[in-house]
Amino acid sequence: MSKIKNIFTHWRVIIVLVFLILSVASISPNPWNEGATIRFEAKNSSAAIAGIENPTFGGTPMSKETILSINNKPITNAKDYFDFVTGLPPNKTITIRSDKGFYKLVTKPEYNITILDETELIRVTEQVFNETLNETVNITRVEEVQKVKKDIIGTEDLGLVVYDAPTNNIRKGLDLSGGTRVILKPEEEVNQEELDLVVSNIKERLNVYGLSDIIVRTTSDLEGSKFILVEIAGANKEEVKELLAKQGKFEAKIGSTTVFKGGDDIKYVYRRAECAGIDPNSACGPSGDGWNCRFRFSISLSTAAAQKQADTTKYLSVVTEGSDTYLNESLDLFLDDQKVDTLRIGSELKGNAVTEISISGGGFGSNQQSAMADALNNMKKLQTVLVTGSLPVKLTIVKTDSISPMLGSEFIKNAVLIGLLAIVAVVVVVFIVYKKLVIALPMVVTMISEAIILLGFASIIGWNLDLAAIAGIMVAIGTGVDDQIVIADEVLRGEKGVFISWKDRIKHAFFIIMAAFFVTVVAMIPLWFAGVGILKGFALTTILGVSIGVFITRPAYASVVEILSK
Amino acid sequence: MVKSRRERRLERLQKKSMLSFSESKKPESSTQSDISMKSKKKGNFFSRIYEDHYKKLVLIPMLLLLLSFVVIGFNIAETGDFMNKAVSLKGGITLTIPTITQEIDFKALESNLKSDLSKGDLSVRELSEFGVQKGVIIEASGVEEDELLASTKKAVGDFGDSYSLENLGPSLGASFFKQMMFAVILAFIFMGIVVFLYFKTFVPSVAVMLAAFSNIVIALAVTDLLGMKISAAGIAAFLMLIGYSVDTDILLTTRVLKRKEGTLMERIYGAMKTGLTMNITTIVAVTIALIVTNSDVIAQIMTIILIGLMADIVNTWIQNVAILRYYLEKKGIKE
Repeated sequence: MSKIKNIFTHWRVIIVLVFLILSVASISPNPWNEGATIRFEAKNSSAAIAGIENPTFGGTPMSKETILSINNKPITNAKDYFDFVTGLPPNKTITIRSDKGFYKLVTKPEYNITILDETELIRVTEQVFNETLNETVNITRVEEVQKVKKDIIGTEDLGLVVYDAPTNNIRKGLDLSGGTRVILKPEEEVNQEELDLVVSNIKERLNVYGLSDIIVRTTSDLEGSKFILVEIAGANKEEVKELLAKQGKFEAKIGSTTVFKGGDDIKYVYRRAECAGIDPNSACGPSGDGWNCRFRFSISLSTAAAQKQADTTKYLSVVTEGSDTYLNESLDLFLDDQKVDTLRIGSELKGNAVTEISISGGGFGSNQQSAMADALNNMKKLQTVLVTGSLPVKLTIVKTDSISPMLGSEFIKNAVLIGLLAIVAVVVVVFIVYKKLVIALPMVVTMISEAIILLGFASIIGWNLDLAAIAGIMVAIGTGVDDQIVIADEVLRGEKGVFISWKDRIKHAFFIIMAAFFVTVVAMIPLWFAGVGILKGFALTTILGVSIGVFITRPAYASVVEILSK
Repeated sequence: MVKSRRERRLERLQKKSMLSFSESKKPESSTQSDISMKSKKKGNFFSRIYEDHYKKLVLIPMLLLLLSFVVIGFNIAETGDFMNKAVSLKGGITLTIPTITQEIDFKALESNLKSDLSKGDLSVRELSEFGVQKGVIIEASGVEEDELLASTKKAVGDFGDSYSLENLGPSLGASFFKQMMFAVILAFIFMGIVVFLYFKTFVPSVAVMLAAFSNIVIALAVTDLLGMKISAAGIAAFLMLIGYSVDTDILLTTRVLKRKEGTLMERIYGAMKTGLTMNITTIVAVTIALIVTNSDVIAQIMTIILIGLMADIVNTWIQNVAILRYYLEKKGIKE
């Protein structure tokens, strides 16, 4: 009994226990979690109108919004959701209850739109943010539009893409969760800055489509070539390829007239600090119960675009708002036909074909600093939108992977089975060799602890576990067995009467263990960087696994064996 | 022919070293004072050979290494490359389709596809778990994605969206391969540096590196014989082999050079007991993973580690032991 007490009061064992508790808390397993978790949401869909938020990037898997019931009918998985929503009639109200709230959705009819050969006049009421008054005002105008014929052909999708509710916080890599991965290579040499620009561009465009659960990042290989990696869980390859292959379509419209487009019309968007940033003339000031900051940056238009702008603004009237004068119409920015921003036009631009235009906007925050950050963030977003469609480099797709989620779940079940069988087998062999439960049993506990702590680490740092990473976990735990055998042997040698102090025996064991540890780590480092990091997961889990073993669990194993064999 | 003989020899070798390991318990269990390695009259046949003829025994690992080079040489002559690269190292398409209702005849599928898409290089493998087919993997290069999908659907029926497809451009594939090779060389050099820093003696450190080198070469030769196509994950396994195989050599070298208790042979046998237990547990675990897994990635990693570990038994307990004993003899340190 006192042995057990000695074990659980030993500091090394306590450290392992603390790590185990933290890991389990971070993984937060809940095998009974049910529902349909929202992966992403389409813009302007019924779901978006009802107020369901598009899941933000990041955040733990378990914290994502999960649909629990629709019309009081429980939804336990993604299939229940699909079964329910297929065959819904248009203009029907349904209630969705999720773990975050309660929503009323109205299904939208889906139309087949035929463009007729005539036009009609319609009144358009728009909400425009007036920056001087700092409030939204309604502007109504009459527009001439193409007459169309709409036929209802069915019900529009609710706009949600869902998947089975996760049962823990471990993020699954693409080869386990299913989805699409595309690696793009710039066709010419580019610097990191340009590449970052391309990345934020792609992100912005994918966000326009409501795809938020995405990874877009630059990656490079040992030869210094740069690539862009795009991973979208749950999306199919065709959708992603189509999105990426299309040049982003950017249009700036006044009313229904397109003034300029992305590409040739915008010559340059200034991003350097002296031409872009917080407006030095009217920087920041308190506004309401917070702070308001202004940014400004310049763009350079082609002469053709400048002329078009002058022609369009010539007939607009000037309105005075406070001390500033604006034109009565605004400039709307569209990205892939979705309106992303609206800018007021200064009255001095009326009928004036200038090529250098200053664009300004604001940001809001609870203090000056956050208002400034918000303003700069808005500026960056706007700049990205303006250059979308005029990407600085052409990209080619060099690798596409699309993985069916069906195979992924099979792999996970199988990996768990392998792990359990391998642990049993190892323990049987060890028991046959040493014929001592005090050696074999703590070994099982150590191996399982190493796996749990490793998964805990992976969920804390938000690492996506893929198949290679699972192989890495197996390998890391395998080296653990080797280390524990070395420890067990040193302990038993002491029992045989060779007189060496306990401390020396453990020192001997760890001399060998550390050598093996260093060799494994240095062997894995080159893999981290090789080939666009395709095996980064393997390298990382192996290094992390052996480190956890050598510094946390294996010393505890040594202490436990010492206490038990005394 | 060549393969089965090699394998048999490998097995024999393994048995041999296992035997000498179990026999070694005899002197260990008797009292400490009455065994000295010079009075080995009582030693059994195998341990006598192991102890007295260690220099001749080195021929076994040397021949193994030589044979491996020959095999690799043949592979170069035949295919132009020292290993068979999977599409993840040379570019191409990997298409995985799950077995849904009835088993897919993968051989028929292969010949079907080959006649359908004559221009490409193509192979079909089976994925199984406990001998039950879980799916098939089609690897193809020089074929278009759509063509391959269409032909496969024609051959096995429509499988809708439930497939995985990886497509890698050939130039990126070639660059992956180059970098993986570079990673292996770099890892090997790093390993050498660590070993040198650890033991600070030339010959024992080189012996450790030689063992790791032989393990890799032998594992490579066996994968060539098996006709296995090495993917990026396979390269990771070769790297892992460095880590896995070196720990028994480090154990041996540490016990022999840094410990003073007992005679040299006692220290070697002590290390061997620990080391073989390490190797056997890993071999058992790896074999189980190999039987149970349904993933191609894991199967390849485990196969390479398994072959390498078997080679490591010979390279550590015959070759490395011999080098260390010879080194100590030269240095004039008597047992």
